[in-house]
Amino acid sequence: MGFEHFWLSGFDQIHTAFWTYLAVGLQNGAVYAMIAVGYTLVYGVLGLINFAHGEVFMCGGFAGVFLTRGILGARVATGWGSVGMVLAGIIVGGLISALVATGVQQVAYKPLRKRHAPKLAFLISAIGASYFLQTLAGKEFGYGVNIFPSAVFEPGQVMFTMFGTSIHTIAVVSIVAAIIMLVVADRIVRATRLGRGIRAVSQDAETASLMGVNIDRTITITFILGGALAGAAGFLYSLQSGIVQNAGTEIGIYAFTAAVLGGIGNLRGAALGGLFIGLFGSFSVPFAFEGNVQWTEIYTFLILVLVLIVRPTGILGQKSGRTA
Amino acid sequence: MKLRLSKAAVVTSVGALLAAGVPLVGLASSGASAAGKPTYTIGVEGPFSGSDANYGDYIYGGVELAINAANASGKYHFTLKPEKFDDQGSSSLSPAAAQKATGTKNLIAVVGPAFSGASEAAAPYYLKAHVAEVSASATAVALASGSSSNFMRTIADDSVQGKADADYLVKVKSVSNLLVISDASFYGDGLAKVVAADATALGAKVTTETIPNVDTGGGGTTTEYAPAATAIATSDPGAIFYGGYSPDFGLLLSALSGAGYTASAHVIMSGDGSNSPSLITSTSPASAANGVFLSEGAAGKVNFLTGKLASSYFKLTKIKASVAEYAAQAYDATNAIIAALVKTKTPATVTTALRKEIVTNLHKVNFKGITGTIAFAGDGDLRNDTGTSAISEVESGTITFLVNEG
Amino acid sequence: MISIIMAVVAVMTGTPGSSSAPPTTGVHGSLLERVSFFGLFATWRWVLFFAFAVIIWLVSSFVRPRSRAIRRGMDAALAVPRQLTSKKYTRAGLMVLALIIVIVLPKFVHESFWMYLIVEQIGVWILLALGLNVVVGFAGLLDLGFAAFYAIGAYTTAWLTGSLPAPALFHHPIPTLWVIPIGILAAMIFGVLLGTPTLRLRGDYLAIVTLGFALIIDDFVETQSGVTGGGVGSSAIPHPAVNLGVLHYSWGISPTPYYYLCLVFIIVFIAVFTSLEHSRIGRAWVAIREDEVAAESVGINPLKYKVMAFAVGAASGGFGGVMSAGLVGIINPSLFTYQVSVNVLVLVIFGGMGSIWGVALGAIVIQTATSYLDNYQPWGYQINDLYMYIGALLIIMMIFRPAGLLPSRRRAREFAAAEGGEEIHTDEVLTGDQP
Repeated sequence: MGFEHFWLSGFDQIHTAFWTYLAVGLQNGAVYAMIAVGYTLVYGVLGLINFAHGEVFMCGGFAGVFLTRGILGARVATGWGSVGMVLAGIIVGGLISALVATGVQQVAYKPLRKRHAPKLAFLISAIGASYFLQTLAGKEFGYGVNIFPSAVFEPGQVMFTMFGTSIHTIAVVSIVAAIIMLVVADRIVRATRLGRGIRAVSQDAETASLMGVNIDRTITITFILGGALAGAAGFLYSLQSGIVQNAGTEIGIYAFTAAVLGGIGNLRGAALGGLFIGLFGSFSVPFAFEGNVQWTEIYTFLILVLVLIVRPTGILGQKSGRTA
Repeated sequence: MKLRLSKAAVVTSVGALLAAGVPLVGLASSGASAAGKPTYTIGVEGPFSGSDANYGDYIYGGVELAINAANASGKYHFTLKPEKFDDQGSSSLSPAAAQKATGTKNLIAVVGPAFSGASEAAAPYYLKAHVAEVSASATAVALASGSSSNFMRTIADDSVQGKADADYLVKVKSVSNLLVISDASFYGDGLAKVVAADATALGAKVTTETIPNVDTGGGGTTTEYAPAATAIATSDPGAIFYGGYSPDFGLLLSALSGAGYTASAHVIMSGDGSNSPSLITSTSPASAANGVFLSEGAAGKVNFLTGKLASSYFKLTKIKASVAEYAAQAYDATNAIIAALVKTKTPATVTTALRKEIVTNLHKVNFKGITGTIAFAGDGDLRNDTGTSAISEVESGTITFLVNEG
Repeated sequence: MISIIMAVVAVMTGTPGSSSAPPTTGVHGSLLERVSFFGLFATWRWVLFFAFAVIIWLVSSFVRPRSRAIRRGMDAALAVPRQLTSKKYTRAGLMVLALIIVIVLPKFVHESFWMYLIVEQIGVWILLALGLNVVVGFAGLLDLGFAAFYAIGAYTTAWLTGSLPAPALFHHPIPTLWVIPIGILAAMIFGVLLGTPTLRLRGDYLAIVTLGFALIIDDFVETQSGVTGGGVGSSAIPHPAVNLGVLHYSWGISPTPYYYLCLVFIIVFIAVFTSLEHSRIGRAWVAIREDEVAAESVGINPLKYKVMAFAVGAASGGFGGVMSAGLVGIINPSLFTYQVSVNVLVLVIFGGMGSIWGVALGAIVIQTATSYLDNYQPWGYQINDLYMYIGALLIIMMIFRPAGLLPSRRRAREFAAAEGGEEIHTDEVLTGDQP
């Protein structure tokens, strides 16, 4: 009897607040999707799980936070000011993250490539870069100190009400910005020469270079692209939850799960995977046993493990040779 | 070949000697003072880095203040100095910090550990080394009857605080439908359980929930708070009590206000782990913290350093005494240790016998401290627990004292 | 070259000046304040950063032409151990010497705190590294969730000694010492259970799925406070004791007896693993590692041997858990996070994956450095800086010596060939996966 009640009350809760859960899920999902794309692109060209990508996200978040604090301070932005601040935050966050990502590539991965190091060496180097960045951030900004940006919108501003639930501006902005950026990234990878280069290197680096693709440059571009998306995600994330020096670790695992779920190496898969993880995490809260929210984490990783065991190439599957 | 081998060997052996020499220097460095007055160290174990570092600083300031006063008074045949032992408030780092403290040659006693989980983890080590722990802030009930008879505290435990919280919520605020949230930490869980039990006994309908805290080992993530807040806002309890610390409570408040569950329209309360200005900076927007009630482990007015002590404290630490939680308790704890020390023969070097004597003497001290009469019962709790807890409210970004409850 | 600058300068940023309190939001500050983002950045530290960068650049441009000679010198120095141990008698002699040093070590360590660190931070981690070495080094399986075996050992200890909220088996708590074989067995069984469904995956997918499982177990243990004590864990695990008629000995809190217990088991495990390495099983592992398809074609069942590797590695990890629980007496889920798994992997790769002595040495080096830095903070080092240095060290190690400190002979040949551009038989796991 208790078990049925558990399921029924869970669904009942979802029914009552469906749109709120949806909004929260999409908002989280947008962040995961943008970060997951970075993981997936790098895996495509280097075959490497970029452990340092979470820290790239975190740096962008800090950059965005400082920018708003520097410009706004204690004031609240309104109207066009808000729009400007959001754009500025996204751009600066993306820039800084792209810088950090490129730096990591130059310092930790490029020398290894030149020496034909085995893949495990790349992995350890990635871990090293991740440790280094996180600790440096902690030194500068404090360990475990969660900082919020200045008020880019009116606090708690509601953009519109839909079906009786208020949808907040932060949610709308995050989702819209994410969609735009993901579509742009997708277009870059599919329709531009740059993108073709990325896909070529993912498929077969040697042949690509024979065909005239500059491998080094392509890899750098990949990191810049992935980094920029992660940085923008960092800023958007900080609007809701603030940014802290170990944000990269926890969010990174979720985003990485999303990338794997969607089929690692597959950009659209990563984006959809991110959305799925966000929504799933949100809608599974009413089903947390004994009201312990940690169960949502367990459910998410269970899905990951099951998908991997049953269909390792992910839901959308890897295209041949791990192209985007 | 032979030449290269020897060159490399020379390099490696010199390097090894250097590498070996450094720790030896480090090990030898903790020297005792010269002839004359013996110098004793009073250790302070608590968080001095990480998200809860402010609590460590408050307590250390109180200890330093008391020690400076004692040294300056000229009454004593010894000098004291404080020393920090950082456990980051974590129970996994605490054994190492405790070991380090007890291994410090002229350490006589410790003010701390600051956090309850850390106290529990460190207790066996202090017990084995016969070092007294007088905590200014560890409030979990289980600690007093727990594994160490060396454990004492100058603050009321959570059974007092929790009961006062439940009383305030049910009797004063007429709450009939209460949600008690625990952060799954040793302290938060204990406090939440007391509040839940007492509130149920008073006739309120109580539901419980666990949102693990985000701190290392807690396992929670900041993205959890938003969906959890949505669920809470949907079930819309009349009141919430959160057992946990300010960084996480702040995140929860932010999420709740985003979900439409505000402190102004409902009753939201938390315990002494959140009772610090860091709560306001952890909440965004900061206005979401306004209207939140916070309780304390002791009665108000006597809870903070005031007057001359407050200005000396500020001069010493640059922290305002009115926000320095537990500083007053730390001040009293230090004076308790001094009172116990004075009754011994104050030898030149610290021995286990001296440490044992201090533990025994501590159980016999009885003086009027700034937070009340300091005398310890057999299990380490204050003997005459007034049983009152100060309730404060956050008003326009500052924590203001309301009333003494219980 | 820029990488050299950045890597070295990064180490330099460890100079004193720890981070300030939470940042303020003032916008009406002085120009200096605004430049340093309102006290957020310790401005002078970034000035130092750039100053050092210039200095290092000058130094490196001086060193660059001589870099080849330096490289050769370094390689020669690092080859010394291999040269020394090439003769059987020198190897035996060195081992006896090491044994003597290790047995009399406690006499020279005066601070019981250091002894505690040696057991808890170094000894236990050597056990973990040895175990993971079997999985990653021998069998070539990338396992990112090794801490789970450690957890099983520790929690089994807690459960069977009656220290968990859940009552002990048959309501009969048993002394800690007798838990050792049971803990090892439990870990091995768990290794089999975990391995059977997952070891069909290759390369990166295996890594991810082991990571996923480790996270699930970590979270699950935390939620089940009624059974496992949740996030708080267990705190009253009794110390091992022997009460057999004539023999009465209790391990207590002093770390030295644990040291010897740990030492005995480390030696046992090293002996067992070395003999496994040279046995048919070990050769099967090498075959699977190098070319799984070919191995299958000669009749080796890859799944069976992979699961075996998991189980064997888990034994060492499980014992580490029992040791840890018995010594500290306290366990909680924060000891089994995926960070721990990653750290063990770092130790293994740093020391030389596949080489038992290399891995042990790697564990000793990194853990000693960690313990020393964290507890005796020399000038310029603040607590929490540790991972910055470890991170930099890892990157440098991987650039200049990816084979690890003391690589096994096979690996050393592979690496040398790869660097020279030759295409030698390298593992699937290392270069790429074809799912």
